Amino acid sequence: MTRRTKSLLLAGSLFLFGSCASDSQNTQTHDHSMMPVDAASVMGQPDQPVTGPQGRVGQFVVECPFSHALPDDPIVYPGDAGASHLHVFFGNVTSNADATLDSLLGQGTTCEQQQDTASYWAPALLDNGQLIEPVKSVAYYRAGVGVDPTTVVAFPPGLLMIAGDAMATEAQPTSVVAWSCGSGGMRDELPPSCPEDRGLRIDITFPDCWDGKNLDVDGHRTHMHYSSNGKCPSSHPVSVPQLIFSVAYPVHGDASQLQLASGGLITGHADFINSWDQEKLEEEVALCIGRDIVCGVTSGRISG
Amino acid sequence: MKRSISALAGVVLLAVGLVSCGGDDSANTTNAPSTEVVTSEAPATDAPATDAPAVEGVLNVPADYPTIQEAVDAAVEGDLILIAPGTYNEAVQVKTNNIVIRGVERNSVILDGQFKLDNGIRVVGANGVALENMTAMNYTKNGFFWTGVTGYRGDYLTAWRNGDYGVYVFDSIGGVLDHSYGAGSPDAGVYVGECYPCDSLINHFVSEHNGLGYSGTNSGGNMVIVNSVFRHNRAGVVPNSGSYELCYPERKTTIIGNLVYDNNQPDTPAIDVAILAMGNGILSAGGVQNIIERNRVWNHNKTGIGLVPFLEEDPNDSLPDKSAWDTSCADSKKLMPVQPDGALLWDSQDTTVRNNVLEDNRRADIAVGSAGSDLWTLGNCFEGNTFTTSAPLDLEKLAPCGSPLSKDAGDWTAGDLNVITWLADQATAPPSVDWKTAPLPEMPVLESMPDAATAAAVPASATPPVIDLDAITVPDKID
Repeated sequence: MTRRTKSLLLAGSLFLFGSCASDSQNTQTHDHSMMPVDAASVMGQPDQPVTGPQGRVGQFVVECPFSHALPDDPIVYPGDAGASHLHVFFGNVTSNADATLDSLLGQGTTCEQQQDTASYWAPALLDNGQLIEPVKSVAYYRAGVGVDPTTVVAFPPGLLMIAGDAMATEAQPTSVVAWSCGSGGMRDELPPSCPEDRGLRIDITFPDCWDGKNLDVDGHRTHMHYSSNGKCPSSHPVSVPQLIFSVAYPVHGDASQLQLASGGLITGHADFINSWDQEKLEEEVALCIGRDIVCGVTSGRISG
Repeated sequence: MKRSISALAGVVLLAVGLVSCGGDDSANTTNAPSTEVVTSEAPATDAPATDAPAVEGVLNVPADYPTIQEAVDAAVEGDLILIAPGTYNEAVQVKTNNIVIRGVERNSVILDGQFKLDNGIRVVGANGVALENMTAMNYTKNGFFWTGVTGYRGDYLTAWRNGDYGVYVFDSIGGVLDHSYGAGSPDAGVYVGECYPCDSLINHFVSEHNGLGYSGTNSGGNMVIVNSVFRHNRAGVVPNSGSYELCYPERKTTIIGNLVYDNNQPDTPAIDVAILAMGNGILSAGGVQNIIERNRVWNHNKTGIGLVPFLEEDPNDSLPDKSAWDTSCADSKKLMPVQPDGALLWDSQDTTVRNNVLEDNRRADIAVGSAGSDLWTLGNCFEGNTFTTSAPLDLEKLAPCGSPLSKDAGDWTAGDLNVITWLADQATAPPSVDWKTAPLPEMPVLESMPDAATAAAVPASATPPVIDLDAITVPDKID
């Protein structure tokens, strides 16, 4: 076991090296018009919803209270403050339109895992145009369904990725974007009416296969892909953790009149910059996912 | 009452404040209770041999290795990592089987997470790892944590002010936690969950000023909690069932000979369940086939010993049939969940509450409740307890042990427990206090492991020591 873990770490650092070396060439300029309308056509989609009790497969979990809201998008509109619809940010407290790997590393975080200084964000949920401040986010890191956990390596530092489609015109597959109440197993296309003791929640599943080369690409999509039948495609051969990002809102009752800042309630999406303490991320991936050990669960808690 | 009050045989839980806390410059404040259980008869299997001075296979920190982690990484099976007094700002990961990590002196070997690091020591899938004689404080997750292991042991551990649990055991089987202490966590001071059979023993543990004293979700099967103290938590001993994690239901937990008192503490950090369960001593929330005997339980705003349902409104699976209760945790992981249409009501069932001594539990000393099921169908029985109040009234007459329960035994509705009101009580309960700043008594000076500097390393056995449960009597009060 020990040997395998060490070789995994070695593999991870090789990828890391490779990606850093090509960072400047492969991080393209950003053009919003390049965003695909149908993300599934370029990234695939997860095979099936990931539901059921926690504790079956190896994972680690990071809970991050809400940090701040800005009309910024460091991936889609880098350097262009105020250009985006309103986003809610979690984790790194400094994230804004100018955020880069270098600017984010070592900064403060809202996450209880203090070494998770990554930046996570999602469109703001609005009530008559007013921000509904979310309670917290929960990031689940697991192997994709059916993926050999020993093949999963950490995200390279500086990886940018987007899941879900901000420009969706019809309901997205619930394997990618799903609404629920609390942390149970329901997955709905639209927000359900949640009871008093369990708030509204959105779950967004990120792609878990990387092309092994690019930290970002035009349109911010095609360097990543979802696994299928437990395998990554040859175009995206590197298995990375399947990040399921959940945002919990203090919303109970009828939610049908609410809006996401990106448009209708079907436009759920989330963004991620890997600015974790990389050594810690690699350790968590190797120990918890690689050894298929449950390193943490969320225990149905309402508050952090 | 007189009959039941007798000294603990063998292991005595008294006058310990004088022994463990007295005469030291960090003596307790007046409201700091005596906190250690002193014994001259530690189970033989737990006591490391003392006749062989450690030489080979001993990795000294910081003399040989500047950090605990470096020593752990260099260790091979059978090694002893021996830590000198000092403060270590580390989050130690252990992945090597059968090593022993030990502090030379419990109170002065301190792992401090400084509110930044996650776990003091985390044992990830490494079997047979023993952690001994040290303190872990100010971690954002847990003080000491085993997950995915077969064989574990924690002796003379102090967990103080940690962000989830003090001592946390998950998805692990075969272990013992002895002479240890957990305070200041929003979840439980000590937790064993997701295991069946657990084959685990909690002995001489003191858990106080936490959200929950003990929590065990979906654990059980030779899961024994004895000779321990649970006090000044929001709620005391709270095993529960739920489909949010695997290996449900919680069953066959044996709780004998513990002191459980004053679990109404309003100023602790607390997860939501701790606020819901507040004011109860021993509360089985949807557990089945538990045995609760010869405990002394007093001063609770709600129940001393309560068997109540756990309502799970966002379940991940359907209720298991009674015929599946004996399915091992390993086998149950292979089953695919079936999403139910609505909420689940996990009733407490087939539990025996016998020969406990209870007083001043304001709602009821002993109680059973549901939220729709007929109480006589649940199979819980009460016998030989020393008590004043019960819910329903005359509970020992309604639900005697040893014979099938009957609807016609009496009036099951008179004075019955309405647990639904507890949901509403949450709104007016004192809110959780930030774990980083919640008030705690001065850190107690606790008994150290004997001969820690020289005792040979004994990795953890997957077979916990056998306790003579029949020999345990109701412990005397210590406050």
